[in-house]
Amino acid sequence: MYNSHMRIIKENPNIIKLAVDALKQGGLVIFPSETTYGIAADATNPMAIKKLNNYKKRPIGKPYSVAVSNIKMAEEYVSLNNTARNIYKEFLPGPVTVVSYGKHKLTKGVESETGTLGIRISSYALVCQIVKDLRVPITATSANASYMKRPYKISDILGNISDKQKGLVDLIIDAGELPHNEPSTVIDTTLDDPVALRQGEIKFTDKNEVLSRSEESTQNIAKELFQKYESYLGKRPIIFALTGEMGSGKTQFTKGLGKVLEIKEEVVSPTFNLVIEYGKLTHIDAWRLQKPEGLETLGFLKTIEDKNMVIAIEWADRVMSEIKKQREHALIIWVKIKYGKKENERLISWGTL
Amino acid sequence: MIILSIDTSCDETSAAVTDKTKVISNIIWSQASQHADFGGVMPSLAQRLHKERIDWVVDRALSTAHCSLSTDIDAIAVTVGPGLAISLEVGISKAKELAQKYNDILPALKSGVSLQRRMTYQRSIHLRSKLRSVLECCYKPIIPVNHIEAHLLSPLASPSTDHRPPTTFPALGLVVSGGNTQLILIEKIGKYKILAQTVDDALGEALDKAARLLGLGYPGGAILEKIARVGNPDAYTLPSPLIDDKIKNRFSYSGLKTAMYRLIEKEKPLTKEKIYNLAASFQEVAFDHILNVLSYQINHQPLAISHFLLGGGVASNNLLRSKLRKLLRPYEITLHVPYTKKLCGDNAAMIGVCAYLKSRNAKNLNAKLKSIDREPRMKIA
Repeated sequence: MYNSHMRIIKENPNIIKLAVDALKQGGLVIFPSETTYGIAADATNPMAIKKLNNYKKRPIGKPYSVAVSNIKMAEEYVSLNNTARNIYKEFLPGPVTVVSYGKHKLTKGVESETGTLGIRISSYALVCQIVKDLRVPITATSANASYMKRPYKISDILGNISDKQKGLVDLIIDAGELPHNEPSTVIDTTLDDPVALRQGEIKFTDKNEVLSRSEESTQNIAKELFQKYESYLGKRPIIFALTGEMGSGKTQFTKGLGKVLEIKEEVVSPTFNLVIEYGKLTHIDAWRLQKPEGLETLGFLKTIEDKNMVIAIEWADRVMSEIKKQREHALIIWVKIKYGKKENERLISWGTL
Repeated sequence: MIILSIDTSCDETSAAVTDKTKVISNIIWSQASQHADFGGVMPSLAQRLHKERIDWVVDRALSTAHCSLSTDIDAIAVTVGPGLAISLEVGISKAKELAQKYNDILPALKSGVSLQRRMTYQRSIHLRSKLRSVLECCYKPIIPVNHIEAHLLSPLASPSTDHRPPTTFPALGLVVSGGNTQLILIEKIGKYKILAQTVDDALGEALDKAARLLGLGYPGGAILEKIARVGNPDAYTLPSPLIDDKIKNRFSYSGLKTAMYRLIEKEKPLTKEKIYNLAASFQEVAFDHILNVLSYQINHQPLAISHFLLGGGVASNNLLRSKLRKLLRPYEITLHVPYTKKLCGDNAAMIGVCAYLKSRNAKNLNAKLKSIDREPRMKIA
């Protein structure tokens, strides 16, 4: 049975009020956008979100991105860092979803389990006006049920959903067949939050600095540094906690450790795998870890039980609190790599804790 | 041969049903695409999410394919490596559980056992041990699969039965993703030789990092491709990696990454137009590096090659595809890419297809359940 309330109305200037009223009453509204047809619910109304979950038939735990009308409105619901601000400035309004840390003001289940929230500002005027008049964010998920085809026209939707699902929809705004644009691109900005700053600066008890002029020389500095502290091995494992911007040479430094430890395999970037074990050398990349505690799930504590182990941790500033806890059990050498003045120059400084 | 396949090697929880090389269903629950944990990961959370989702994903793969696990599925394929150990674990134990739980003979045997209860104790012990060994043979066979090999062979998957692209071996293959950049000589299915691989960053990783340097979040490889289409690839000159290598058998992106960092610092403040041009210029050099190594390897390849397989997340990049096609044409080598972009990223259907292609030799079907274990650093050759 069709819901007698479901109305399909051609896009017209008066439809904004109808849509806003329906949303205010907790209804679901299917609307056209610059990507596909979307389905809107008031993101602050638990009943509306529940209805949307039933419509989408999506598994629990999948978050929704939401549409707002401008950056000011976005800031009410998420914390924007510099990366996010730049993206808003350059790419919004448009088919881009920007993920930031949420302020937990929306209905549970809209934000992700880790508290992040995806925000869109539509370049489709109708959508923007609806959000503006409603004054709260609406969900901006596509109007198909999960795993069904992308909806570019109303029949794409109605042909693929049950009568029960149709009964959940209050209003469909029909703008004909939309251009077949791709869905929005998702950009996560949360990794650019300055975790290191929150954990405080590293203070060296002793301080040394050398200039590296090439990748090879960075590798050689690593070799020499290792040899300086090599005698500790067997009594305690050695942790090289590496910090430095992207492309500064943290992996090159670890390659040098690989050479001096006579590792036959090629030491490569562990960014994707998070941890790579090469016999007596364990190479960890903390860049993608969302919390310092993530270090332990990579087997960190077990690794440092081996008193002959050398551990290189890239982006160590992101997991500093966890590394510091091991001060008694391991020799910790902090290595900072900075870009120098000339193309291939790097300033490498180090110190023990 | 109908296979249920499972992949939990990284952020995606995926299950699929395939018939030979035909993909019947391919369900992917991404921890990424729904922006839950896009670039960042929390290994313990990733494992928990896999555990929570695996049943739903498997059920969905079966129901979409209208298949029953006990009666329709001939074997279960699962990724055993490479990947994040604690994530791989979830898929492997699920595969084992299903293999033991669902088989045709178990229910019949159980009722058989109860009938035998009246027998003498001695005979029943004998019978039980016999039954146990029979039962083990009745488990659904598990086919362990290497994730990279599955990416490599993913262009052989097809939307309909026996509509496989006509490939002959030896062939060349390129796997380009966030974690891998490998140029591989496929002597035949199951026998591979790595001709070149990265000494630092993978191609996908380099694209993601370039996007991040441009302030586009992480990983931003996909948006980099999008905006590069509007940018001018000749606007900036970035150095070609390893241009002095006489024998071109490796890839490297560390120098290019540094050059990009320097260039961006110089160009700051960035405008939209600059970002577009920088993205296009970076992508151009990153791909041309692949082409340089590839053309060297083709020119120095003693075997006659007429097919090229492209797989992995970056295989969905249209610019890379067209550049490869152009390079391969004069050599009369045909480029094969997965028939849908869904097969480029991590997915279980490619695992099922790979399992079928490998198990046609039947040897692989006899793997003992206990011997199947995760291999986080599994190699293809």
